[in-house]
Amino acid sequence: MAKQSGEVVCELKHVDKVYEGAVPTPALLDINLQVRRGEFLVVLGASGSGKTTLLNVMGLLDTPTSGQVWLAGRNAADLSEEQRAALRSRYMGFVFQFHYLLPEFTVLENALLPCNIVGKQMVSANRERVKELLERVGLGDRLKYRPSQLSGGQQQRVAIVRALANNPELVLADEPTGNLDSKNGFAVFEMMRFMNRQTGTAFVVVTHDERLAQEADRVVVLEDGRIVKDEVQRPAMTHEL
Amino acid sequence: MIDRFSLSVAIRHLLFYKGQTLLTMGVVAVSVTLIIFLGALIGGLQKRLISSVTGAIPHVVIRQPERQPVAAWEVAAATDGTLYLGERVKLQQQKRKIEDWQIWEGRLPSYSENIRAVSPVVEGQAFVNRNEKRKAVSVVGMFPEKHNAVVDIQSKLVRGRFFGLNGGEAVIGFKLAEEFGLGLGDKIRVVSADGNVANYTVAGIFDTGFSVVDSSTVFVPLRDAQSLFGVGNAVTTIGLKLKRIFEAKDLAQQIALQVPYETRSWMEDNQQLLSGLRAQSQSSNLILVFTTIAAGFGIASIMITSVVTRLREIGILKAVGATNRQILQIFAIEGTLLAFFGAVAGAIQGIALSLILYSIRTQVSETGRTAEVFPFDLTPDLVIRAVVIAVLVGLAASWYPAWRAARVNAIEVIRGV
Ligand SMILES: Nc1ncnc2c1ncn2[C@@H]1O[C@H](COP(=O)(O)OP(=O)(O)OP(=O)(O)O)[C@@H](O)[C@H]1O
Ligand SMILES: [Mg+2]
Repeated sequence: MAKQSGEVVCELKHVDKVYEGAVPTPALLDINLQVRRGEFLVVLGASGSGKTTLLNVMGLLDTPTSGQVWLAGRNAADLSEEQRAALRSRYMGFVFQFHYLLPEFTVLENALLPCNIVGKQMVSANRERVKELLERVGLGDRLKYRPSQLSGGQQQRVAIVRALANNPELVLADEPTGNLDSKNGFAVFEMMRFMNRQTGTAFVVVTHDERLAQEADRVVVLEDGRIVKDEVQRPAMTHEL
Repeated sequence: MIDRFSLSVAIRHLLFYKGQTLLTMGVVAVSVTLIIFLGALIGGLQKRLISSVTGAIPHVVIRQPERQPVAAWEVAAATDGTLYLGERVKLQQQKRKIEDWQIWEGRLPSYSENIRAVSPVVEGQAFVNRNEKRKAVSVVGMFPEKHNAVVDIQSKLVRGRFFGLNGGEAVIGFKLAEEFGLGLGDKIRVVSADGNVANYTVAGIFDTGFSVVDSSTVFVPLRDAQSLFGVGNAVTTIGLKLKRIFEAKDLAQQIALQVPYETRSWMEDNQQLLSGLRAQSQSSNLILVFTTIAAGFGIASIMITSVVTRLREIGILKAVGATNRQILQIFAIEGTLLAFFGAVAGAIQGIALSLILYSIRTQVSETGRTAEVFPFDLTPDLVIRAVVIAVLVGLAASWYPAWRAARVNAIEVIRGV
């Protein structure tokens, strides 16, 4: 699948998110953000600054209180629940802070989960590629293992391959290395960077680790729900695959 | 439409959590076993009870209506002003006879396919005398081959023969034989209520298990009974045996319009028994309903636990793009599969249990005749119904858990580690 570089894969326009409750908590305030294809974007910010909320809104897991979310050139507010689910399974990939693999499925099956949700053709179309990805992250000999038989770092690598299984336009990763020691964390980060360069998939990665941030094309810093810094460190890779 | 992905997740989950799967299937299996076991047992007991009542009698009897004396003022002729008085004559049982029985015997089978057998009979009260002993019995004159379809004597013979009975021969029950110390070839003397006397040679002894028949019925050829009771060439009743005995009342009413005689079915003579059976059926249905409901709650509660313990998994599935419909189907499929396989296991258990208990027999008579202790009536209908009900209950019971699962909010789950 040839991906056009530079095109906007996700855009937030004046997004506010206020959590209702006894005391309404504003989590995002007037966020404007464009993510372009091929971009590797790191989101930094103190705890409680709204990073997870931002990813959830971009990933259509949560709806903004006001403002618009555009994905694949469509306003998310106009989409049905089914269409949102379809976007999540075909257009996006998710990596969570905790790997969240399904215990009853093998490594390969877990990695192929988004394809399975879509259907048989999607599985056969991506099976070899997913196997290759697993091999590249050093799990080629563990395809039939259960998640419980893997280390934390290995599980997180499976989760990253799962996020890439459908060859998505956009991967959203919430502190993917937060649960790993620094060596493993760095390896996982490097792997995402590598995938980004290989496939041109845009990545939005939340992290606390300033060291990792230096590897990114672009850094966005959140503070109390506002973007206080949005800096391009180097131009995104352009691919003609 | 069943979603392929939901099906694969459901099956994988059932296989992965074997303990939980077996437990749920066990709950269903036990209830299905109970439903089949109880259903078959109650059905069997009812059948036994009914056959103890109807086994040795015709289901419908056709006879000449009894002539009632009419009060003088009810007679139409009295309107001309003249009142005639006369002596009241009570008609003897054997005088209420059917002369043209041969015509009806030929026609009756064509009136309804429900009629299994037709047996013309001369029946009357008489005494058996032997060595100073005397006992009131019912003498039944009949054609053995025809009458055997009404009361099975031939296969219940302990000694001697029934088919091919000759003139001057009688077949009696083993209790009567014991009481009078009779064996094959012995003579008995029978005196009718009118004082007619006949001597018979005992040609056969039977044990039907129906105590009235075994202790006080004497079967003789039709001709012999006709002369004993002085009915000429007539018979006293025509007995019908039916295929479906609960239609006896309707059939009796139908035939009453087609023959110039009175008809009466076993159902009219046993109203109390029938209403008792109906009450029993209702209470057994109630037990079955509650068993089914209990099984439903069992499935539902285990499924709800399963949803709660899998919240995270559900959240992940939704986050990576599973639709609400797919999530709903996962749990609905699981519930249905659990119920189905549990029901099949339960059906096998129920059938096995019923058959094993059914095979236990006990001797019920001195002549060595045996009968099953538990009279199971195990029909395919009962088994299929139990399985179908269990599957429907499984589907219904998993509905609420499935709905809860579909409503899981992915973010809350992902956050709430
Ligand atoms: N469900 C919720 N209800 C109410 N308030 C919430 C909810 N989720 C988050 N918040 C609030 O919104 C703000 C942003 O939360 P968010 O989880 O996005 O922060 P974060 O930057 O991801 O923090 P961390 O680095 O600790 O993960 C916080 O003040 C938090 O208390
Ligand atoms: Mg967070």
